[in-house]
Amino acid sequence: MRDKLTPRNIILCLCICSLPWLMYSIDGIEKLLSAYRIDFGWPGGDYVIRILVRACLYMLLAVGLNIVCGFTGLLDLGYVAFYLIGGYTAGILMQRLGVPYWFALPIAMVHGTIWGLLRGIPTLRLTGDYFAIVTFGFAELFFRIIRNEQWLTGIPNGQLRGIPSPSIFGITFDQNWHNYYHILILLFLVVFLNYRLQNSRVGRAWVAIREDEQAAESMGINVGRYKSLAFAVSAAIGAIGGAFIAQFQVNISAPFFEFWESILILCMVVLGGMGSIRGAMLGAAILGSLGEILREVLTRFTDFPELAGSRYLIFGIILILLMRFRPGGLIYKKT
Amino acid sequence: MWAQILEQLINGLVLGGIYALIAVGYTMVYGIIQLINFAHGEIYMFGAYIALMLITVGTPFWIALPLSMLLCAILGMFIDFIAYKPLRNAPRLSALITAIGISLALQNLARMIWSARPRQFPSEVLPSFFLSEITETGKVINAVPLPGGGILPFRDVFIFLLAVVLMIVLNMLIYLTKIGKAMRACAQNQVASNLMGIKTNQVIAATFAIGSALGAVAGIMVGLSEVVTPTMGYYKGVAAFAAAVLGGIGSISGAIVGGIVIGIAEVFGADIHSGYRIAFAYIIMILVILIRPSGIFGKATSKRA
Amino acid sequence: MRNWIVVLLLVSLVTVWGCQPPEKKTDDTATDTQDTQQELRVAVAAPITGSAAAFGDMIKKGALLKEKEINDAGGINGMKLTLLFRDDAGKGSEASLVAERIANDNTILAVVGHFNSACSLAGQSIYDRVGIVELSPGSTAVNVCEGSKWTFRNLYRDDFQGKFIAQYIDNVLTELESVAVFFDNDDYGRGLRNAFVAEIENTELKLVASEAYERDTTNFKAQLTSIKSKKPDAIFISGLYTEAGLIVKQAREAGITSQFFGADGIDNADFLTTAGTKAVEGTYITTPFLFGADDVKAQEMASNFENLHGVPPDTWAALTYDAVGMIAEALEKTYKLEASIEDKRSAIREHLAAIDTPEEGYNGITGLTYFDYKGDTVDKPAYVKIVKEGKFVAADKQLTNLN
Repeated sequence: MRDKLTPRNIILCLCICSLPWLMYSIDGIEKLLSAYRIDFGWPGGDYVIRILVRACLYMLLAVGLNIVCGFTGLLDLGYVAFYLIGGYTAGILMQRLGVPYWFALPIAMVHGTIWGLLRGIPTLRLTGDYFAIVTFGFAELFFRIIRNEQWLTGIPNGQLRGIPSPSIFGITFDQNWHNYYHILILLFLVVFLNYRLQNSRVGRAWVAIREDEQAAESMGINVGRYKSLAFAVSAAIGAIGGAFIAQFQVNISAPFFEFWESILILCMVVLGGMGSIRGAMLGAAILGSLGEILREVLTRFTDFPELAGSRYLIFGIILILLMRFRPGGLIYKKT
Repeated sequence: MWAQILEQLINGLVLGGIYALIAVGYTMVYGIIQLINFAHGEIYMFGAYIALMLITVGTPFWIALPLSMLLCAILGMFIDFIAYKPLRNAPRLSALITAIGISLALQNLARMIWSARPRQFPSEVLPSFFLSEITETGKVINAVPLPGGGILPFRDVFIFLLAVVLMIVLNMLIYLTKIGKAMRACAQNQVASNLMGIKTNQVIAATFAIGSALGAVAGIMVGLSEVVTPTMGYYKGVAAFAAAVLGGIGSISGAIVGGIVIGIAEVFGADIHSGYRIAFAYIIMILVILIRPSGIFGKATSKRA
Repeated sequence: MRNWIVVLLLVSLVTVWGCQPPEKKTDDTATDTQDTQQELRVAVAAPITGSAAAFGDMIKKGALLKEKEINDAGGINGMKLTLLFRDDAGKGSEASLVAERIANDNTILAVVGHFNSACSLAGQSIYDRVGIVELSPGSTAVNVCEGSKWTFRNLYRDDFQGKFIAQYIDNVLTELESVAVFFDNDDYGRGLRNAFVAEIENTELKLVASEAYERDTTNFKAQLTSIKSKKPDAIFISGLYTEAGLIVKQAREAGITSQFFGADGIDNADFLTTAGTKAVEGTYITTPFLFGADDVKAQEMASNFENLHGVPPDTWAALTYDAVGMIAEALEKTYKLEASIEDKRSAIREHLAAIDTPEEGYNGITGLTYFDYKGDTVDKPAYVKIVKEGKFVAADKQLTNLN
């Protein structure tokens, strides 16, 4: 982001913006070639775009988690709680109360922020793994509430059916490429905000807290306030992700927000390199699409469906190997 | 009313004993290398499967139990050797991600080897007092009748007693033997103990071995009274980790007390509102940590993540 | 910097490698003289991994049996039926990706699946957008087919089954007066429980306890102890066999002598082995079909299934078997080689939607299947089985008409 508008960056931007069209044109080429009975095994443009959307969503969440984990150095195992709050706030507002997405999104964000602050109050003085397990406990509570309180969603297991797609002037944004640009804009705003924060007084205060809380406090940094701010911003970003997935998936249910998602997002942050925005995004891009890449590769090259079901085994091994050879993360700044 | 409370209390104690056995594995490893060993739940699962395999090929139960402990101890040391040892000087969270990776890999490996179908120990080869069954008259054999109509199977008594015995043995090991002393030294200060001539890597390996062996026992116990599945490590593992933190992570007595507290909280939680069964355990855990930010037996530290 | 470029390159290499066409097998030249056009592809989406993998396994086995039978009998109008198995891991987030992958594959004509209601719903928005039939052999949540013209299912809904069990206990087993529900806290268990509890209000039965458990947990002692203190005559387990077997076992160990009931989710031999023959004796379950002694077709399928896979079939295997059969029948009647893929897919949909009276219904081993305007199966009967000497047998008294 700090880099100048070099030709390389401009080309990169153009590429990212034109990805859907590239994908759809490959679809077209495949159709043409299939007339000549040539099949090069293209899995379909919409499918690839959906993976891209998912990877971008994870990038957004990873950047959000990076604020608490990377900048302030607290291990947050319950980030999925804000994702869930955002998802269900937006989902219930849109589906049950008929609120348009453009209002539901900021309301979800505010709701997430409130819970981020509320969770912050008792956990401010906790450190390390005690903080981690309390955040995990909070996330688990929210998950149980959605599962048990059926009056919230009307259907068991936190199912919300038929969340409407957002629309402006009668144009409904329900195609995958709509969602791609949608998440791209959200991601751009969030990343931009993150860079501004990182390079501001706030960001430096966060890093100071991470490096030495007591020293930071004695330098006149109000640790409690800056930590709360980190929780609030991080929670708001999580809630944005939740509101996005609610309208993207149309039908959501509680298992979308399992503990495993928290772990996955945490893996992305650490894998990319703690405290680096670019690292978090890179980690999310890799882990967010790795599952599907493995699925494609394995179903093509094996006749054993059991092996194709083993993609999480390979996923695990890749995590181990990456950490073994890049223990500081892929983008690692020496401090 | 009181009979029900007594029965639930016993349910909680038995469950808590199992949690304590698993939690000790978490807390010992954490005490020495400050790592949340996410793969511990999977070692526990492997313990159950290894014993199951041994018993199916005809090994008597009393041989399969220690053999499975031994194999799990080796598995634990092996994991430490290939995955954690190279990361001793890396950021702590990298080792955590490695642990998550191992956990994923082991769980899916188990699913590939043994399939996702739940399995049970074949009842023919188990010692007969493990098999409590209801007779036509409505009486349960191999069980202790409790006042008020409750029933406590011998197997559950055995599980709880075994947990207690193992905890006593563990405490003796830690406080009365040389390796135990070395472990305590490493937990206090690894560099200093290294300078004093303690081979820290061996001590860490021993810690993994002991924790894994205890985890294997817990796995077998759960396999006996419940079933063996590839995901069994996840649910009990997470609860046991909460128990370890609740008790004060790094402290063995903390893990034992934490395990019992979580077990009892879960059982009474189920009595109050079964949909929130495990959530009650987490609420208790959160409350305890908020009151005592370093757990029940934990020392106040200013460690960073 | 350079290092992560290398990593990125590796990842992209893997991707490119993954995009290579699969190698053609050499041994199937005999049937494969034309090429892919001669093979009709149908996707089966099921939880092959994940916590519901045991169900995915049975679904896959049932589907494989039907595929083999169809192809052994000369295929569909001479064309080979090929099933492609896709794993949704029982998770909605994965199911939507699987759905997109299937919908984008222009060789796949229809989908049999998904198993979990949450997965069917997650895939639904995509199948609707693209226009491909989703025929679920396992999603029983009440609302699955609502508002989608592409979603069908060949089994009854939770609300019917819950009502049926309540009435059976009330009308047939008149000596039972108080009941307790022990339900799986997800869409299947809770949906069934809601219907059951609602119907209990209309009968003379008394509901004394309603407890929940989580899927994949294995310790139910706490809930069973509190159920026991309410002394119910009957306990209805609203869940799946993996947990139900353990529940019955642990209940008997705790000295509970109540009569147990279960629904179709329990209809599997594993239920009996997990619980143990003594504990499980006399348990009633409802099921969409009976492998009854007089039902020749079902018996034949059961023995073929055991010959092929070595295990007896369960409800889900049988329902999948029928679902594949229905799709195959639709393909037989509607498939036109020269039509576009969209037309081929929508022809299947039109064919299924037109099956709306008993006369036109598909007569499979699980009974006559036909749909209402939503795509729900209507009037599919439920039967009651009882465990006798460690085996499921048809109960002496069946309940034929619901009030």
